[in-house]
Amino acid sequence: MKTFYTFTLLLLACISNAQQTISGTVVDEKNKAVVGANVFIDGTYDGASTDEKGNFNFKTTATGNQLLVVSFLSYETIKVSIEVEKFQNQTVKLKESVNTLDAVVITAGTFSAGEKSRVSVLKPLDIVTTAGSAGNIIAALQTLPGTQNVGEDGRLFVRGGEADETQTFVDGIRVAQPYGATTNNLPTRGRFSPFLFSGISFSTGGYSAEYGEALSSVLLLNTQDEADQNKTDISLMTVGLGLSNTQKWKKSSLSVNTAYIDLAPYQAAIPQDVDWNKPFQSLSGETVYRYNFANGIFKAYAAFDASRFDLNQEDINQPDKVRVNLRNNNFYFNSSYKGNFSGNWQIFTGLSYGYGQNKIGIDDNDLKNAEHASHLKLKFTKKLSDKVKLNFGTDYFISKFDEDYNTTFKSGYDSNIAAVYTEADIFFSKKFAAKVGVRVSTNDYINENGFSPRASLAYKVSKNSQFAFAYGNFEQTPRQEYLKYSNDFKTEKAAHYILNYQYAKGNRTLRTEVYYKGYSDLVKYDTENVQFDSQFSNDGQGYAKGLDVFWRDGNSIKYLEYWISYSYIDTKRDYKNYTAEVTPSFVSTHSLSLVTKYWINDWKSQVGFTQQFSSGRPFNNPNEAAFMNGKTKSYSSLSFNWAYLLSQQKILYFSVSNILGTQNIFGYNYADTQNGNGVYDRKAIIPTADRFFFIGFFWTISDNKKDNQLKNL
Amino acid sequence: MKTIITSIAIFICSLLSAQTQYEQGMGKAMQLWGEGNNTEAVATFERIASVEKTNWLPNYYIAFISTIEVFGAKDKTKIPALLTKAQDAIDNATVISPNNPEIMVVQAMLYTAILIQDPMTNGQKYGGLAMEQYNKALAIDPKNPRAMFSKAEFEIGGAKYWKTDTKPMCEAIAKSIELFANFKPETPFHPNWGADRAQQALISCK
Repeated sequence: MKTFYTFTLLLLACISNAQQTISGTVVDEKNKAVVGANVFIDGTYDGASTDEKGNFNFKTTATGNQLLVVSFLSYETIKVSIEVEKFQNQTVKLKESVNTLDAVVITAGTFSAGEKSRVSVLKPLDIVTTAGSAGNIIAALQTLPGTQNVGEDGRLFVRGGEADETQTFVDGIRVAQPYGATTNNLPTRGRFSPFLFSGISFSTGGYSAEYGEALSSVLLLNTQDEADQNKTDISLMTVGLGLSNTQKWKKSSLSVNTAYIDLAPYQAAIPQDVDWNKPFQSLSGETVYRYNFANGIFKAYAAFDASRFDLNQEDINQPDKVRVNLRNNNFYFNSSYKGNFSGNWQIFTGLSYGYGQNKIGIDDNDLKNAEHASHLKLKFTKKLSDKVKLNFGTDYFISKFDEDYNTTFKSGYDSNIAAVYTEADIFFSKKFAAKVGVRVSTNDYINENGFSPRASLAYKVSKNSQFAFAYGNFEQTPRQEYLKYSNDFKTEKAAHYILNYQYAKGNRTLRTEVYYKGYSDLVKYDTENVQFDSQFSNDGQGYAKGLDVFWRDGNSIKYLEYWISYSYIDTKRDYKNYTAEVTPSFVSTHSLSLVTKYWINDWKSQVGFTQQFSSGRPFNNPNEAAFMNGKTKSYSSLSFNWAYLLSQQKILYFSVSNILGTQNIFGYNYADTQNGNGVYDRKAIIPTADRFFFIGFFWTISDNKKDNQLKNL
Repeated sequence: MKTIITSIAIFICSLLSAQTQYEQGMGKAMQLWGEGNNTEAVATFERIASVEKTNWLPNYYIAFISTIEVFGAKDKTKIPALLTKAQDAIDNATVISPNNPEIMVVQAMLYTAILIQDPMTNGQKYGGLAMEQYNKALAIDPKNPRAMFSKAEFEIGGAKYWKTDTKPMCEAIAKSIELFANFKPETPFHPNWGADRAQQALISCK
């Protein structure tokens, strides 16, 4: 009987448990009441939401030391250790979460495309739907401010810097040979098809200490982490064929992409101003393999490209045309692992190997060269708190280059660069953030050490606008062309100062940037061309300053997206064999791009126009006493494209560049010697054709029947 | 003897109160949600989730309510935080109950919610991801009425635009109504929504 009583009593006791009242107020950082915050004792059902004054009040059966949880949308959830009996009329302060999408972003210098970037200037689709870009990532980036339109070259020239001052990275690992092979005054293209990349970040200065060996700019391409689905894409184009396939398994996926390009049929239909013996032909392919572990992802990327062409080029110094026969083979492999492990640590490790081989026949002479380039990288990220993140890592670059001219002249080098860096990301508040870092490197071939501090700050002045400032020192080993003849160099150096203002609201973005860039220790030589007996020095220098403006609007007119880029630049440099500090020939003082895309719903078509304009570029006229005193007429090109969706998975695509057929001149080649009248003759450098036409048919075969290749065009 | 009795009593007592508290809490949360008080409902589900660490339902409802809120959000500035909240809750629920077709349906709806924020940019990727989730859910449970109906509803949008035949989707909706009729939730708190919406969708099909 006694036991029964005990039992009943105990049961009663547990039902009629004594209750304590907990009460208080929830406020934000400005001591304003937070309405609707969820307040409860961890591990119990006891809790309440705050009223319109931020007050809460509830009863609990819990006693003693407990965890009080307070959470509210877009605020950091906090857990406070409390003693239930003593927690009455207390105030709890919530902090705005800095992880939310509207926190300040360090923007100085950088353009991002991709869904991960919070302030996206370009969308992934833009790379390929920009008229005139013809699926070339580089051509689409040339519609952004800070870049120069150098039509006879095709590479990226950023803010008064040479093309090789931009370094390209795939998944954080350097690509030593990012461009296709070409010869004098025939523009090249980026090697990468936009097909496999989900994020692109293009920095025109002031970038992170993670990236070295780049004086002017870095281009970061990230492969997709995950394949969407199993699918096959077929492309039939006037210039060739393409085929790609993606297979997806439970934890891994594989994408393969191949293309065969042959300009012969196109050349037959629309003659170009190129005297081909054998028009351009290339076979290329790329593949990405991804494997997802529980706490990480492994990616491998490989690309190969074999190109050939044979042509006769006019040379003002030769009575007959010069025959150039080029064969290029290129292979690139890159693998990386990114993983999380305990205590908010993240590891990234990767390596790349690139092999580029050229065999060039110039009339009866043979030039052969080969470059092996590797990059090893190890990086750690530790999240110390929601506000402080620490990165540190190390890089090792290996380059081996050999060249052979007619099997008699040999040149080459082996260079190893080791670097370490560390950088901290600090959020002082949701409005104010900083990134501070330093990079130290050493190069064994030229026996030079480098020290590069970097810093950037961003401050949000209102809900939609912010200022950012970036400063950094950047160093780069002199280019291959010099290194193969000598190792008596210093690294070339640049200092960047950038002030950025950005306004972003909905689909409207305004971005303006002013910058100053100082160059020092640029390489100079004393001969007409770079050759084995050139005397080199690091006495060169220069500067670039300017204004970049970008405006994008997708709001004002339904179905119309457009952007306008304007760049003003004032730059001079004394390098190479220049006799004075002058503006180099690849620079236009004013550059303007207008890109429009209009979706016509009834026609299921996207129609786009791109207008590019740049003011005249300098050239050196030996008939004048002053060095680099000539100026070409201005450049203008209007391009058009039209994508028509035949059905959800079939697209017909048409594009034409320079519709108006504007006669553009990039510069002039002058004769080495005077003619009978004491004048140096010249020949204009012009595009190979006034217009370029392209027609393609793109067909996607997939399970869900929703995908198409619009994003690849 | 006394200790044994005491332990039995405490065990029964904790069992009793836990059971009733869970049911009370879930009942109250469902009621708040039914009244349109989403914030309070989510807050209650969050409290339940803090106790019921092996039950996927509270997180399921947090995800579901937050996703539905994105579709109807007038205050666009709240959307990013809602999307994050819904995804976190889906992740939590999936850890507790992997390969659950009900959670996959909500994941597909969340992808659709992201898609409609910017169809031009997100359409390709998130359309594919949503379809993948529906297909996975139906592969696991071909008789799940919500997977069947939501997939058809998602596909109908595209088919109308392309002026392709919506007949197969309408058939799927009709079939889902049969499945709804035969569907019995495991407990009163398991997902049981959708029958009325399917009826409406079928009417607009004709």
